[in-house]
Amino acid sequence: MRKSHQSPLHDFLVPALVTPSRRFLSTTSRNNANAASVADASAPQKPKRKPLTQEQRDFLSSALRVNQAGELAATLIYTAQTPPLVNAHPHLRPLLSHMYDQEAGHLRTFNALIAKHRVRPTALYPVWSAAATALGWGTAVLGREAAMACTEAVETEIGDHYNEQIRTLLEMFERWEAEGYEVGDDLRDLTNTLRRIRDEELEHLDHAVEHDAKQARPYWLLTGVIRAGCRGAIWASERV
Amino acid sequence: MAPSRAFTRLAAHRRVLGVVGRQYQLQRPYYSYDHPPPPGPFNQTEHAILSAAYTHVPEHGFTQHALSLGARDAGYLDISTAVLPDGPFSLIQYHLITKRQALAPKSRAIFNALDAAPGDGAKGQTMKIDDRVERLAWERLLSNADVIHRWQQALAVMAQPSHVPASLRELALLADEIYHLSGDGAVDPSWYTKRGTVSTAYVGAELFMTNDRSPGFAQTREFLQRRLEESSKVGNALGGVAQWMEFTAVAGVNILRSKGMRI
Repeated sequence: MRKSHQSPLHDFLVPALVTPSRRFLSTTSRNNANAASVADASAPQKPKRKPLTQEQRDFLSSALRVNQAGELAATLIYTAQTPPLVNAHPHLRPLLSHMYDQEAGHLRTFNALIAKHRVRPTALYPVWSAAATALGWGTAVLGREAAMACTEAVETEIGDHYNEQIRTLLEMFERWEAEGYEVGDDLRDLTNTLRRIRDEELEHLDHAVEHDAKQARPYWLLTGVIRAGCRGAIWASERV
Repeated sequence: MAPSRAFTRLAAHRRVLGVVGRQYQLQRPYYSYDHPPPPGPFNQTEHAILSAAYTHVPEHGFTQHALSLGARDAGYLDISTAVLPDGPFSLIQYHLITKRQALAPKSRAIFNALDAAPGDGAKGQTMKIDDRVERLAWERLLSNADVIHRWQQALAVMAQPSHVPASLRELALLADEIYHLSGDGAVDPSWYTKRGTVSTAYVGAELFMTNDRSPGFAQTREFLQRRLEESSKVGNALGGVAQWMEFTAVAGVNILRSKGMRI
């Protein structure tokens, strides 16, 4: 652990010579052959990229899969919470629609990433859809505080989870760089996307606490159950 | 030597049955665009022997004999086929893998040619996903044409219990490849049904093709189109029912809300 985050200097120093063409879908080897020859011609000392090991590929696919499942659940929770909650507390409408819009954007991001990298979506998709709708609606009917406690619990788990993924990715990059390889742009973009999304999720957590999440009764039971459910769902989505 | 018809049926049955259970063994590893791909399934020696042996398949079938001839052609001793522990099954895998990989350049050629064709311009772009899937499955079937008279024998080998998982995995990869090349980006549960559907249709058509004597395998193509059409009809009907149920449920809740219930 030499450094905890990537220095921007590195990004600057690595020229964008080898941006592979995305025109064709499955020309990975050809693109890399081109990239390698370009690199050889212009800068022989340029570090090459290392193939992903099976373990790394498994990590990346389960990470994308679980993130998609999580964002799907989040959009459905907010969708289900909105009508009962806004009916009782009309002043919450802008906040809920803001949070929903952000979650829908995250879901679109991960849907696109899953399709692009040919990762299998979770097989428990219908289960998560039903569970998330029930959770969102149930907590909204219990009241404003319960709904906010639900948001708080979910976003806490999700924030931790994203942090863990970012940490794993950065460790992977560090090991590559120690061996003199360079990191692909896709993976750098993925890390930045994860950072941005994590920050937005933690913003939602702050909004929830500002709106009296801690006043929910029984707070410990609600958040405990929801957090345990989230951890179970994450565990399952990483696998199937 | 052709295997018995019953054995071939068994092979097909196993493959079709497996489509249902296949998601449990599906590995879909992350596909990277800017890191080099991992090494292929065959090393250099294996590749040399297999590619040489493959040219003997139309004459000698997917057999140990073809492998020995291939090894000799590639400049190795007959005994060197021992690097392929699965024997003839390796030759079948070689066929499946190379033909699957050949699909990507072929699909580019087909859809680019359609784009360039005069007429209503950019036809490849506007072609529906279902049509693209059908076209790609058909291209993959056509690449069996050279070895089709040996294919029943290959199906029998693939149906041996120790080879079933690898065969199903290859079938799943083919279905995924077809959908990926067709440009389909759906990542909801239909991901599973689509791939299951095209696998079943493909296996059926492949089996049909082993007995098809029509010129250019025209009947096989009709068969394939019928199977895909049937499943898309069933899919549409189920989708319609699901949509109706969802609409009714939402409408019901909204009526209760309009009556002042706090739900």
